[in-house]
Amino acid sequence: MKRYFKYVAGAMVMAGIMAMMACTGDEPTAPAPVAEPTAPPAAATAMPEPPTAEAVPTPTESQDVQVGNRLQTVMDRGHVICASRNDVPGYGFLDASGNNVGFDIDLCRALATAVVGDPNAIEIRLITAAERGPTIQSGEVDMLVRTVTWTTSRDAQWGNYAQTMFYDGQGFMVNKSLGISSALELHDASVCVTQGTTTELNLADFSNQNDLHIEALTFEDTAAVVAAYESGQCDAFTNDRSQLAALGTSLANRDDHVILPETISEEPLGPVVPHGDDQWFDIVKTVMAILIYAEAYGVTSDNVPSAATGDTKVDRLLGTEGSWGQEPLGLSQTAAQDVIKAVGNYGEIYDRNLGPNGINLPRENGRNALWANAPCQDCPKGGQIYAAPLR
Amino acid sequence: MAAILQNLTYQGIPIWRHALVIQWTAQILSGFLVVFLVAWFFFNIANAIDEREIPYGFSFLERAYQTPIGQHFLPYETSDTFLYAFVVAAVNTIVVSIVGVILATLLGIFVGVCRLSGNWLVAKVALVYIEFFRNVPLLIQLYFWFYIVLALPQVREGYVIADRLYINNAGVSIPFPFPDGAAAALFWIALAVAGIIAGTAVHRALTQREITTGQSSYPLIGGFATAIVVGAVAWLVISFVAGAPFVVSQPAPQGTFGRIAGGFTISGGLMALLIGLVMYTSSFIAEIVRAGIQSVGRGQIEAARALGLSPMSTLRQVTFPQALRIIIPPLISQCLNLTKNSSLAGAIGFADLTNVAKTMTQTAPAISIFILIMAAYLAMSLAYSLIGNLYNRHIRIA
Repeated sequence: MKRYFKYVAGAMVMAGIMAMMACTGDEPTAPAPVAEPTAPPAAATAMPEPPTAEAVPTPTESQDVQVGNRLQTVMDRGHVICASRNDVPGYGFLDASGNNVGFDIDLCRALATAVVGDPNAIEIRLITAAERGPTIQSGEVDMLVRTVTWTTSRDAQWGNYAQTMFYDGQGFMVNKSLGISSALELHDASVCVTQGTTTELNLADFSNQNDLHIEALTFEDTAAVVAAYESGQCDAFTNDRSQLAALGTSLANRDDHVILPETISEEPLGPVVPHGDDQWFDIVKTVMAILIYAEAYGVTSDNVPSAATGDTKVDRLLGTEGSWGQEPLGLSQTAAQDVIKAVGNYGEIYDRNLGPNGINLPRENGRNALWANAPCQDCPKGGQIYAAPLR
Repeated sequence: MAAILQNLTYQGIPIWRHALVIQWTAQILSGFLVVFLVAWFFFNIANAIDEREIPYGFSFLERAYQTPIGQHFLPYETSDTFLYAFVVAAVNTIVVSIVGVILATLLGIFVGVCRLSGNWLVAKVALVYIEFFRNVPLLIQLYFWFYIVLALPQVREGYVIADRLYINNAGVSIPFPFPDGAAAALFWIALAVAGIIAGTAVHRALTQREITTGQSSYPLIGGFATAIVVGAVAWLVISFVAGAPFVVSQPAPQGTFGRIAGGFTISGGLMALLIGLVMYTSSFIAEIVRAGIQSVGRGQIEAARALGLSPMSTLRQVTFPQALRIIIPPLISQCLNLTKNSSLAGAIGFADLTNVAKTMTQTAPAISIFILIMAAYLAMSLAYSLIGNLYNRHIRIA
């Protein structure tokens, strides 16, 4: 009997863990809402000035888990930790000298400039698509910017989505030799897809709705997806359209491949912050708004005025007059100026990475232009890039 | 008075140096330590879940999974539940591990014996094989086989042999007799069990005969032959009486893309995974086999040769039965390793348990999913270990 003890014990330990998980399933719901939500807002509203740093640790009652105190943690640490990638040109990639570059990386640099004052004070944690949820849930990174689509269940489970910075949609790439012109012709096709993406889920929906019986080949990383597609192990390759364009540049014969016209999903991409820190959430939203309004007001990294211009909107943005909330956010008066000088406005970031100087995705007349009546002179308008007004 | 006092005064070793006391104190202290550590881990998780509002719970298991699974051995529709999808994925892993363990063991024994061969070339080839596959990380090997498989022709330009066998980079497809419905599947299982029982009985009888009469009776061959004959005869008889209990499914290109449907397909990912796992694990098994064989005393082999046994007979009847006792325990742990290593399948696109479960974390709480994954692998490993230990007890010297 003793011989089989370890099997019995193993089974019991597993059963025990399950039982404990099940039990705590009820407990936290009771104490958590009472203890937590009451405390941080009190701290945030009552003490908007520097004391926030000292005021917040009390409610969390734990020393090293800085829920509600990320700004102070980041300033003490001296750099911002962003979860991102380095395998897709345009979004997150390495340049010839090994620096992290890309649209997502620049958003991280903008945040670092606003908080720490240095665009290079960033630490990029490379993660796979499937690791995004657990990474941001655990709060080990300050911001997740890794072509993350905003969905309701991710918003509920992962963290808070700050702002849509790029409107994307899912498409399919196929070899021209197949002679198909529509994604609806993908009957019984085998499609390569990256694991842990909305793409994977949308593909399932698209196949179910149109009765296509698509077979999905799921790979952990995008490089394997591209290799399998290029060798013909699968007939089509699905991803966000902009990423198809970006990854297409790495195919041996780009001209043999075509992106099908259908866009099968909405993919609003943007940064995500961990749950439980309203101030940090607001800071990230504001930094994104700064980038967008800098373009709208025509302020670029080259023409940041050194003194007040008399244009109240511009002066407020640059911190020479009025306020857009620097104090309650815990940012410096000239944070926006620093950000624009260091990384440029939204349009500059777009052009550098996704536009003419990057992977060349057209912005004109697209959804990623600024809103229709944006005040700028010759920026692309008629799109959906918009943020909470800076005042 | 003095005598009583003398009797009352403890004169042995001091109490804190008493063996029982020391043992019990150590037990209690280490017990507390274990309880403390477990409690600390548990409350740490519970706290983190609580503070970060990480979702958990198992209610999702009832929901429809709605996501396709690549290759699967159980029937699966996207409308099936998470629980069933998890089982489908677990069966994928179990199939890989059973096939992998069998192939790796056979290949490992072969290479291990070759390693000790008197033929210089054979021994050196085996040595190179072992050192190469044992010393390159498995993930790298998997990528290697994956790219080899990708280098096969595409499905529309693949090799077709006799209109029945299709080989391309999406996989190898062969005709396969699938059981016709659940009753037929049970019937198949019954046949297999009958064959195994008959085979085992014959094996025992022949072994007994060999021991009592001293004549070669080939129990292993006899047993296998009986199992196959019994199964085949019963199958044929019942097929004639009640109609064939199976449908032969022929693979054939289908639809616009010429994907092979029907028959049984070993997908490209599965092929690469099996080749990689078998090569890697067999190199470790070969070393275990070598160690086992070398542990058998030289005198045993010399005595066998002196009795006139051929080298093959010496290996089969004298060396191996003794070596087996040393080989089995580490062999079990290699089988467990193979099972656990199959979790790398996601890198090369095979839908194993880990790959599917990681996809599940998108629409279900990650913590719950990972608890399920751990429980599933633990259950599999303990089952293997149980079977292995039973066998180990069977062959040990009483």
